[in-house]
Amino acid sequence: MANELGNYKTCVSARSTDKEILKCSQDGGIVTQLFAFALEEGIIDGAIVAGPGEEPWRPQPMVAMSKDELLAARGTKYNISPNVSFIKEATRSFGLDKVGIVGTPCQMQAIRKGMLYPFGWRDVPDKIALALGIFCMENFPYQSIVQLVEDHAGQKLENVSKMNIGKGKFWVYTDRGAVVDLPLKVTHKYEQPGCHVCLDYVANLADISTGSVGSPDGWSTVFVRNAKGETVWTKAVAAGCFETKPIEQVKPGLELVTKLANEKITKNQKTIAGRASFGAGKALRNPYI
Amino acid sequence: MSKVVEISPTTRHEGHSKLVLKVNEEGIVERGDWCSITPVRGVEKLAVGKTMEQVPKIASRVCGICPIAHTLAGTEAMEASIGCDIPDDAKLLRIILQCANRVHSIALHNILILPDFYLPGTETKINPFSPEEPVRSVAKRIQRIREIGQTIGEIAGGEAIHPSNTRVGGMYLNVSPRAKSKMYDLAKEGLVLARDQMELMLAIIKNMQKRDFIDVAGKKIAVPKELGYHNQGYMAVDPVYGSTSLDECPRWDLSRFMETRPWDWYMGEMTVDLEDKSYPVGGTTKAGTVVNPQMEACTGVPMYDGQPVEVGPRARLVTFKNFDEKGTWGQHAARQLEYTDSFYAMIRALDELDPSGSVLADEIPQGDGSLGWAANEAPRGTDVHLARVKDGRVQYYSMLVPTTWNFPTCSRALTGAPWQLAELVVRGYDPCVSCATHMIVIDDDKRIVAQKLIQ
Repeated sequence: MANELGNYKTCVSARSTDKEILKCSQDGGIVTQLFAFALEEGIIDGAIVAGPGEEPWRPQPMVAMSKDELLAARGTKYNISPNVSFIKEATRSFGLDKVGIVGTPCQMQAIRKGMLYPFGWRDVPDKIALALGIFCMENFPYQSIVQLVEDHAGQKLENVSKMNIGKGKFWVYTDRGAVVDLPLKVTHKYEQPGCHVCLDYVANLADISTGSVGSPDGWSTVFVRNAKGETVWTKAVAAGCFETKPIEQVKPGLELVTKLANEKITKNQKTIAGRASFGAGKALRNPYI
Repeated sequence: MSKVVEISPTTRHEGHSKLVLKVNEEGIVERGDWCSITPVRGVEKLAVGKTMEQVPKIASRVCGICPIAHTLAGTEAMEASIGCDIPDDAKLLRIILQCANRVHSIALHNILILPDFYLPGTETKINPFSPEEPVRSVAKRIQRIREIGQTIGEIAGGEAIHPSNTRVGGMYLNVSPRAKSKMYDLAKEGLVLARDQMELMLAIIKNMQKRDFIDVAGKKIAVPKELGYHNQGYMAVDPVYGSTSLDECPRWDLSRFMETRPWDWYMGEMTVDLEDKSYPVGGTTKAGTVVNPQMEACTGVPMYDGQPVEVGPRARLVTFKNFDEKGTWGQHAARQLEYTDSFYAMIRALDELDPSGSVLADEIPQGDGSLGWAANEAPRGTDVHLARVKDGRVQYYSMLVPTTWNFPTCSRALTGAPWQLAELVVRGYDPCVSCATHMIVIDDDKRIVAQKLIQ
């Protein structure tokens, strides 16, 4: 399959040089560090991130306008954070002129679509200054996370310090040091059905997209996709925000990213094809044509 | 022997309306009827049974120029009915929103009326779309003022056109400190532009006041010194914002209000017998056409103390600031004077606004069916909404919109003007006809009686 990784200008393995950011980040702290740099440099006025919500591990979109607020939103929460729903408000009562936003591939698609056809998005498209995408195989509803952690992993959700998907397993780490891993075949049935028609693994439409796959532990793979992304990335690297390694020199490298992207796309194309004959007159439209 | 001339549709204002004028042999209007021919919206009927949250949003859709006034008046009518006081910071945000809407509206009106005016010292009428100086930089300034008004409206109200941030009980969200400073910056920039624009417009209006003739379609039409004068009263409830039935001293009185039916007010069936093919644009209505303002007018005739009254910038300035210019020129001048007033009011509200303050009332009662009203000083005048809310649902809703008040008043002000200048008089009111088109007419016993038009 060609172009499963989307168009990109450069691809590197990187991690933040800020110890504070790395302390609680998911992998290389790329998103937090990039936004912190962009805020400091005035590239953005604020960023829409998945902040802490009212329930444990339930993200709530928030507009972070300082590094402290960004730090509060570090780390991946494996369920839905409707960040795009905040983009208009960010330009309204938050008064932002240059908005940064992070999101999954589907959220990047929504952003680009909104920029092209800004229905109900008056004065929003020109204010989107930096869109960061994260790799995504699929996402879970909050109830699924509750079930997986509390029932399958047998841990209290509020005691969990980190969750991770890697090496074919769903990992749960707790404050008191317990580590539980669940095989992914357990988690599959808890996925959002909507994710099964998505043909984008690496956020093809973001300015910069990032995720752990392809890089060693504690590092992230970074795709710089367009001129805007390249400007910000080059400045950030020049300012010493990131340590970088060429992607060809790290293991497992782009090979694994390509493999997983292909797996996702092939699997989901089958779902799309299946839905096309889903009962008389009930076929779902292929979102990609 | 008087003749009848009809100008339909009138141009360079919002909505569809027409003028039916009875003129004498010199072409001077003896009696004029200015009536709305925009179809009735029926918002009042749509509102019945809806939740009190929905109705102000629906009401705002009546128009795209004054939706902020309708949202605010609608929301506050609900709050007046249920007896809900809102926090100070919510009120301040609403004042900012109100002022933002007003500056935008005045600037828009500038564009609409400039083609009626002459560049001082010349015999050239102003084309605001001309690429030539000095008009081009004036047009740019007007657009920047509109942009500033709309951007501030977006921040305080969530949306520049149909504000989403207002809600029964206050506002959904307060603004961030950054948003507050953005509004400050915009208001400060706007104030300077507005002052320049006001001074220019006042000079242009003064120049018109001195003129003896105005050119209409190549004919020199003598301008009477008393163009647009009338003997009706004025009605205004506040220099900037408004008043509701919850106020300690409400400044509008429901018992002084009465509405009459258009067929008891406007002229009856007549035949057009004066036609001018050269009148811009496309000539007046053909001679021989039968007109019937009584049955064609799509608005009721609201009265205050038994008479139609004028509402709008001049009414506000006369009531609160001893303004004494009358007629069409006075009206235009008053509107320009509100430019800087609006920015000052906005800046004062911003000074007081606390971005961390609560903007939602702690308790929002669901209503017991009492009648509440809110009068909002919209750009075009007092916009009164009346509502009864019971258990969170609207039982009764009525909108008395500024241009509805102005229709019969302006009709009176047409008397004595050359018919070719009648549109000039109409534009002095900055009419918003689609807002004004409502047909819930109640009689002395407050019963709805406008069945005749529906039949």
